[in-house]
Amino acid sequence: MKLELVIYPTDSNSSSNRHTINLEGSGPFTLGRTQSCDVVVPDQAVSRVHAEITIDGEDIVIKDAESANGTRLDGEEITRAVWPSGSIVTIGSYSIEATRKDGEASRTSVKIPPTGGAFPPPQFDSPTVDVGALKGSGLPVEEVDYLALGGGLGSFIWVDHLRVFGVPAANIRAIGVDPEPQAKYERLCLNSQIPRRERLRSNSISTPDNIWGFPGYASRETWVDLKNGKLGGLKYIFQVFGEPAIAESYTPRAGDVFESIEAEAKRIGWSDIWVAGRIVKIRKTTDGRFAVAYRVPAGHARSGPRNKILVGKHLHIAMGYPASRYLDDLQDFKREHPKSDRVINAYEQHDEIYDKLEKNGGIVLIRGRGIVASRILQRLWEARAKNKDIKVLHIMRSRIVEGRKFDLAQRHAEHDIEYQPFNWPKSCWGGSLRVLLEQADPARRAELMQMWGGTTTADRADWDAMITEGKKDGWYRPFFGEVEGIELKDGRIETKLESSQGFKEEVRLDADYIVDCTGLVADLEANPVLRDIISTYKLERNNISGRSPEQRLSGLKVTNDFEVEGMRNQSGRVYVSGVMALNGPYAAVDSFLGLQYAALRSVAGLAAQRAPTLKQLGPFRSASQWIKWCRNETP
Amino acid sequence: MTPTLMGRFQTRILLYIFLALPITACVSLYLDLLEIGRFWDPFVFITAMTVVGLVLDPVYMQIQRFRWDNDWPFAFQFFFTILEFGITVGLMNAGLLDALLVDRIETSTALFHFTLVFIPSFVALLAGVQIFLVHWRFKGGELGRL
Ligand SMILES: Cc1cc2nc3c(=O)[nH]c(=O)nc-3n(C[C@H](O)[C@H](O)[C@H](O)COP(=O)(O)OP(=O)(O)OC[C@H]3O[C@@H](n4cnc5c(N)ncnc54)[C@H](O)[C@@H]3O)c2cc1C
Repeated sequence: MKLELVIYPTDSNSSSNRHTINLEGSGPFTLGRTQSCDVVVPDQAVSRVHAEITIDGEDIVIKDAESANGTRLDGEEITRAVWPSGSIVTIGSYSIEATRKDGEASRTSVKIPPTGGAFPPPQFDSPTVDVGALKGSGLPVEEVDYLALGGGLGSFIWVDHLRVFGVPAANIRAIGVDPEPQAKYERLCLNSQIPRRERLRSNSISTPDNIWGFPGYASRETWVDLKNGKLGGLKYIFQVFGEPAIAESYTPRAGDVFESIEAEAKRIGWSDIWVAGRIVKIRKTTDGRFAVAYRVPAGHARSGPRNKILVGKHLHIAMGYPASRYLDDLQDFKREHPKSDRVINAYEQHDEIYDKLEKNGGIVLIRGRGIVASRILQRLWEARAKNKDIKVLHIMRSRIVEGRKFDLAQRHAEHDIEYQPFNWPKSCWGGSLRVLLEQADPARRAELMQMWGGTTTADRADWDAMITEGKKDGWYRPFFGEVEGIELKDGRIETKLESSQGFKEEVRLDADYIVDCTGLVADLEANPVLRDIISTYKLERNNISGRSPEQRLSGLKVTNDFEVEGMRNQSGRVYVSGVMALNGPYAAVDSFLGLQYAALRSVAGLAAQRAPTLKQLGPFRSASQWIKWCRNETP
Repeated sequence: MTPTLMGRFQTRILLYIFLALPITACVSLYLDLLEIGRFWDPFVFITAMTVVGLVLDPVYMQIQRFRWDNDWPFAFQFFFTILEFGITVGLMNAGLLDALLVDRIETSTALFHFTLVFIPSFVALLAGVQIFLVHWRFKGGELGRL
């Protein structure tokens, strides 16, 4: 049996973008992002193994493989369905058409509705659903006051605030795919070479496990060291005392942060609050609430139903980065050579290249200059301890001779890199810059954030020493300019660079691996759930300026309390945090402290509206809750 | 710390009322100043020091503008508080507080008093106020809700 698949990016179906893949046999054939799949789809919104195709008699059958973002057949979400010829399957930002290339091809299949009943039910096609009607449809419907969507760090921090402000665990649900709130974040950390023993780029008082920010991670670390008789532990307190003026900024160990979150999750009863599920659709209800359709992953469903509905009065959405993306030229390369493992995104699992480098040596080309580039460089430096035959080329867009200026201040720059301890000037979290931004109009906000943000890394003496050593010993070389293209040549990748150093000249760089460190993309519309509410409720977006003027890279427009006004439903409210709120009233939304800020604002906002079982946290209740935290008692 | 001007004022007054005044009362009693009719002298001194601080706060804000992070490291807070003490002692010895004081306070006594007020106030900034006021750390030291 022969099957022909034609695959193309959904938004650009031109002949040059269409790829044809021929499959033989009856399958199952896997579709997904990893090289080992039969059909490799190079898109970060696509799961490692996303879907499966089998030939069943005369039918082509498409089955979703518990993917993160779902599989659609002619726009409809499916788990398993017969794929009639002429119908289009979408996964991530790609569309796929299938044709039988054998005797059966001439037959036109009849479209059969997807098996297992449509989910979400047809009521979800209109902007408002009736809870009574949903209950009548036979689907399991659960109702709570507070509902957190995502189940990652943003959800956890919001729920933690609710609990400390007085809401019982039974009134809260959080839907997500991982049981531990830090699971997704820890995966991203591990991929970008931050194992538990490494230090994050985070402040001592950015404490996802403690709403007061005290004790911070520095004093906890000092305390543990002193208890073990290590006086050296006093250094952390001194760092907090002197940072960033007379001491390098303190930053906690990843492991300490994760363990603290695990402990707090236990304390607030997270395991009773968390519900295993992949969110499929969100709708307003006729009675001023919100209905969320979600699908329970197979591993968690036991024998119960897979498709469920949760109805909540107040919603919080924190779904994190929808996708990591490659630079355009690297994306083109991945499309042309889907099986090549030479081009790597730093946010994806790529440990095997270090093993290979440690064994055989080689040249690695780094693209981008942020914190992740520093991490990768550190990892390569460690690999060099095992094999001196590793060289690093580093391409950056342009030289940086001096740091940016704002008001009377200037950012520190060295080695063509700009430094600041965190990704925004510190006072964006809670100082005068926070106030300045909140009070600015949208255009001015965009301007301010353009000035304060940008790609920076932390000023760490060890990283500085690595670059200095690398330049001196010749194993590290920076290049500046625009990449014109990359090509596979004799097993290596050649990068053509229009260099902007001194004379304009063309440079060709050969490397064994290219590591793209330019980051994750906050394209909210790459997340189908968000894309759907953005179009259904015509949600407004924030202004952005700078290199990527595409509005789709901007966050949802929110009030200063992080409410999405476009989602308001009578007294029901929807709040967001993290990248969902980028470019809004607060710069540092995508950080632990920013998630805490957003949670505090929204929970205090809800308390002001007398939301159920929620009371403001006055000084005495706050202190008594803090004592409970210290004693590890439930709030 | 990343204080705003209002935050500096309000936190300074908060610490003055809740820490400096009660501690000063204890110091005064401990030094037996009540018996010799000088009970209020340490209060005059610590109030003068608070006023010196309030006058300097706008200057600190100007210094902050030169810092990229627009912040105020704890080390600065430490150093400038000692400076404020020095200035207040200077003003007293120059006779500027004579109208309010029964008698000028000896520098060693003032230092003893200052140390007892300074240490808990500094600790409160690092690790006390936010336990009671959850919004405080996001408001640059201002009181009230966000
Ligand atoms: C490598 C890296 C290092 C960072 N280091 C720091 C640091 O040191 N300090 C700091 O302050 N900040 C740091 N950040 C920034 C930020 O604090 C974290 O990214 C944080 O995890 C953001 O929380 P979040 O809730 O927005 O996203 P996440 O923690 O990623 O949570 C989002 C969750 O939503 C889930 N989800 C998405 N779609 C669906 C769906 N349809 N159904 C169900 N669930 C869904 C995801 O599975 C995920 O679990 C770092 C970020 C990265 C990427």
